[in-house]
Amino acid sequence: MSTQAQINALEKALEKELNMCQKFAELNDIKAQYLGKKSQLTDLMKAMKDSTPEEKRELGQYINQAKSTFNAMIEAKKTALEAASVRAKLNQETLDLSLPGPDYTLGQSHVLTQIIESIEDLFVGMGYVIKEGPELESDAYNFEKLNLPKDHPARDMQDSFYISKHTLLRTHTSPVQVRTMLEYGGKKPVKIICPGKVYRRDDDDATHSHQFMQIEGLVVDKNTTMSDLKGTLRIVAEHLFGAQREIRLRPSYFPFTEPSVEVDVTCAQCHGAGCPMCKHTGYIEILGAGMVHDAVLEASGYDPKIYQGFAFGIGVERLAMLKYGIEDIRNFYINDLRFLKQFK
Amino acid sequence: MKVSINWLKEYVDVSIDMGTLKTQFTEHSQEVDSIHPLVQVRDIIVGHVLTCEPHPDADKLSVCSVDIKLNTVQIVCGADNVAASQKVIVALPGAVLDKGLVIEPTTIRGVESNGMICSLTELGIAQKYHGETGIHVLNDDAVIGSSALETLALDDVVMTLDLTPNRADLLSMHGVAYDVGAIFNKPVSIETPSVTYGELKNPMTIKTQTDACMSYYGAVIDDLVIKESPSWMKTRLIAAGIRPINNVVDITNYVLIETGQPLHAFDFDALNSETIVVRNAVKDETFVTLDDKKRHLEPQDIVITDGQKAVALGGVMGGAATEVTRETKSILLESATFNPITIRKTSSRLDLRSESSLRFERGIDPKKTQFALMRACALLVEHASATVRQNTAFFDYNDLKDKVLRLSLVKINHVLGTNLDVSMVQSVLNRLQFDFEMTQEVFNIKVPTRRQDIQTYQDLIEEIARLIGYSQLPETLPLNRTVGGLSPYQAFKRSIRRALIGLSLNEVINYALVDLDRNNDLTGKPTNNMVFLANPLSEQHQVLTLSPLNGLMDVLSYHRARKMNDVQLFEIGKRYTTHKETETLGIALMGHYQPQAWKAHQPIDFYTLKGIIQALFESLNIQEVTYDKTELDAYHPHQTAWIKVQSHKVGHIAKLHPTTARRYDLEDVYVCELNIEKLFKYKTPKVDYQPVQRYPQMIRDVAIALKEDIASKQVIDAIQDLPFTALKEAFVFDVYQGEHLDEDKKSLAIRLVFEDSTQTLEADMIDQHMRVVADTLVNIFDAELR
Ligand SMILES: [Zn+2]
Repeated sequence: MSTQAQINALEKALEKELNMCQKFAELNDIKAQYLGKKSQLTDLMKAMKDSTPEEKRELGQYINQAKSTFNAMIEAKKTALEAASVRAKLNQETLDLSLPGPDYTLGQSHVLTQIIESIEDLFVGMGYVIKEGPELESDAYNFEKLNLPKDHPARDMQDSFYISKHTLLRTHTSPVQVRTMLEYGGKKPVKIICPGKVYRRDDDDATHSHQFMQIEGLVVDKNTTMSDLKGTLRIVAEHLFGAQREIRLRPSYFPFTEPSVEVDVTCAQCHGAGCPMCKHTGYIEILGAGMVHDAVLEASGYDPKIYQGFAFGIGVERLAMLKYGIEDIRNFYINDLRFLKQFK
Repeated sequence: MKVSINWLKEYVDVSIDMGTLKTQFTEHSQEVDSIHPLVQVRDIIVGHVLTCEPHPDADKLSVCSVDIKLNTVQIVCGADNVAASQKVIVALPGAVLDKGLVIEPTTIRGVESNGMICSLTELGIAQKYHGETGIHVLNDDAVIGSSALETLALDDVVMTLDLTPNRADLLSMHGVAYDVGAIFNKPVSIETPSVTYGELKNPMTIKTQTDACMSYYGAVIDDLVIKESPSWMKTRLIAAGIRPINNVVDITNYVLIETGQPLHAFDFDALNSETIVVRNAVKDETFVTLDDKKRHLEPQDIVITDGQKAVALGGVMGGAATEVTRETKSILLESATFNPITIRKTSSRLDLRSESSLRFERGIDPKKTQFALMRACALLVEHASATVRQNTAFFDYNDLKDKVLRLSLVKINHVLGTNLDVSMVQSVLNRLQFDFEMTQEVFNIKVPTRRQDIQTYQDLIEEIARLIGYSQLPETLPLNRTVGGLSPYQAFKRSIRRALIGLSLNEVINYALVDLDRNNDLTGKPTNNMVFLANPLSEQHQVLTLSPLNGLMDVLSYHRARKMNDVQLFEIGKRYTTHKETETLGIALMGHYQPQAWKAHQPIDFYTLKGIIQALFESLNIQEVTYDKTELDAYHPHQTAWIKVQSHKVGHIAKLHPTTARRYDLEDVYVCELNIEKLFKYKTPKVDYQPVQRYPQMIRDVAIALKEDIASKQVIDAIQDLPFTALKEAFVFDVYQGEHLDEDKKSLAIRLVFEDSTQTLEADMIDQHMRVVADTLVNIFDAELR
């Protein structure tokens, strides 16, 4: 048999053995058998020494080619065995992919906080600073300096929670406005919003709460006009209820502002056409506002001959109720997570 | 205020679509709550009962034949007051009654019935206004076949106004007429009443001893014939929400609604003298009011006296002794003004609020006092056949002059941000019927006494703005240059919120007012600096909370009662004491943290909460934190610690004592309270930047067994006290107790991290350090190396 024929026979035999081979150990044996020192290829190599140099070169080429072919075949088998072994390992790692992941959750802020922060951010963007103040307030700041002198009907003892003769739980955040104006010393422009808890002596029901959140705004400067108020409130309405809102100002009364207005926004449900949500008026009342009363400016150290300004007050719960259609104000203070978690 | 449109038409042209009236009045004056027909019925006519026989098959029914002009119809009627020859209200088939009831022909117990004889209630007039139980019997002069609505003057529309307290003028038909006239630019005509006097002279002398009565007019009226008022008057009173009684009472009420001036009638013959003296009540004075109740008076109350005894509680209620009855022949009719505050105090103290007291409280046009009295006299002459004695007795200290206010065009435009011109302002003042003079765009405006609410130029600007319409205002923004932003403290509070939300806690907001027991619960003992309400509405909300933890307990209980057991909450609230409000963070956890539905997981323990606090502090840059074990009532004796930052106490962390937890139907609850203001104060103010180390760290571990009551912090502190400059950190990474250890021993595995910013560390030196560490721990803690 020619050397060439022997090599071909060897390749056939190797192919057969590789097909049968299942384990790395066997593969090593096969490798030794076909490429090792005692392999037939080695024997063929040894047999070459009696050949002519020309034959030697030719045979050498055959044998080297065979070596690299065999090597490649064995390597290919090795790769295949490795892949099979990895696969076998992975087959042990099946999962029920339909099971849920762990309940990792972020917490979230209270819906009232969300609305307050959103309004704060809006006003900060317009150059306002945020002012806070005490909830236990003196009669002077809560009423007197706000043009609500003693015996004014709006400060009926029955409507406020009193601590003592001269101290009460503030009924609005307006005292913070007074405190800020006094702090500013009647000189520099005031541009603030005042969020916070306020209290009224009301029995709790679906629409009344003895504690609620208010955000009041105040701008005082030499040229602050009622048109500025209207433009500002339009931005607030659109921020809260979406673009393309119309606002309507209509006459109202607050002791601390003059003129005073109630501000309505076109109904989100019917866009002004009239529907049950807006009681067929096309508008929903969202806040009260007005030009600061001279008596308030004076009591707070600003000269009404030089300064004028506007103020507004927003009830946060009411806004949230309108925005989301919440039916009962008490929901905000029950803190049921199934309620709170809905407001993203 | 309920406004009859038919009545309003007497003074001003209201030929306006009702929808327009509603929106225009709302946008330019006051909110209109509703505007709708007085009664919602159709096609009812006047019928004449010809015969009325008992129903053959029913005791309580009658079979009537009713003349309705075109023919005669048979109607079965259930009312027991129906009778032959009555004029009645008939609803024929097709007519619509109140609440949309449509009349159809029917057969009642075998007898055909082709319509219905109606009561006033069936027309939609509430029973409280007429008091009738059966059908309504019309006057004999009603015209058969004519519209019953017109006959009763019920074809009216009612506009209900939601008034703000300043607009006292709109508590009268006259005032509403002026505003409607101003809005729609229509003339307003109000006739001055003219009274025909009798022969007799008024004998009364009237005087006051109190400033709280500013004016008092008294007319004496004789020969009264007390009877029903005419239909139109009754209907107008019903439209205004007042029940008609008889002509004398109705006329006083009618004039009240018309002019806004309350009147009071005394039975003249029951008065003991010809003198009226108004004075303050004296100490311990009592008085029996119209409702037969004995009232204890206080010196601030005003009484009308006959010179000695009180005969009325001024402005609030008359007395039983001088009440007008059906037998009254002569009256003293009073029209007066009183101090609004005095009336408010008296009426609210005695809970005697009425249409009259409401108007006195809000303030009355002083020019209407005499006017109203004359108007009532004229109506009594006309509708009660009365004779009025000559010479009204009175005193009047009111200022009856119109106030003059100065306002410039420049000021108007400066406040409103508008470009109004002189003619626009003039037009508004004309529409308001305010007289004025103008020189060089400065107005001197005479404010009529009917507008007591207009006191300053700002009030006048409001008049101009509202009548021109706020829809005409431009929309601009303030031009002042200010820088907005959160204060560092406000930003800090937001950071707390963000961090805790990121750590999966949910924010809640609770009531600050709690009950007393609750406030004592978590402190374990009563505290004496609590803030109590002087006038609480309930025990549940009587004192301000000492900690947000109080409210958090309720929220946990709420969820556990609903089988929601894995709950992690926080609240940024306050601690309220008599001297201070302190912003305080409360955290409360129960159940499992980040629960995994189908995998095994650990319940929350002390370290879960501590980990949350560590993460919070890390994010806030709060350093040098220690946890000092302590014992507090209400908490677990071994799982409670003060939290200190730079040695300052800022709050506590604890597990609730099982007894405390049980009070709220809770089990394992972990809480933390932190003083936010102190945290802010002690936080590390700025970032201290360090370059990232270029040389590798070396890590070595040491394991020791030691007494279990030695806190791991002591061990770490001992290591950190060693003079190793390269030691970066040391921390416990494993704790073990149990097998292979004595019962009172625990094993700690501690990792030490070494680092040098200038060079690669020498292993020999670190090994040397570790030997020192081992020796130190053995020596100090009697530890055993493992
Ligand atoms: Zn709508």
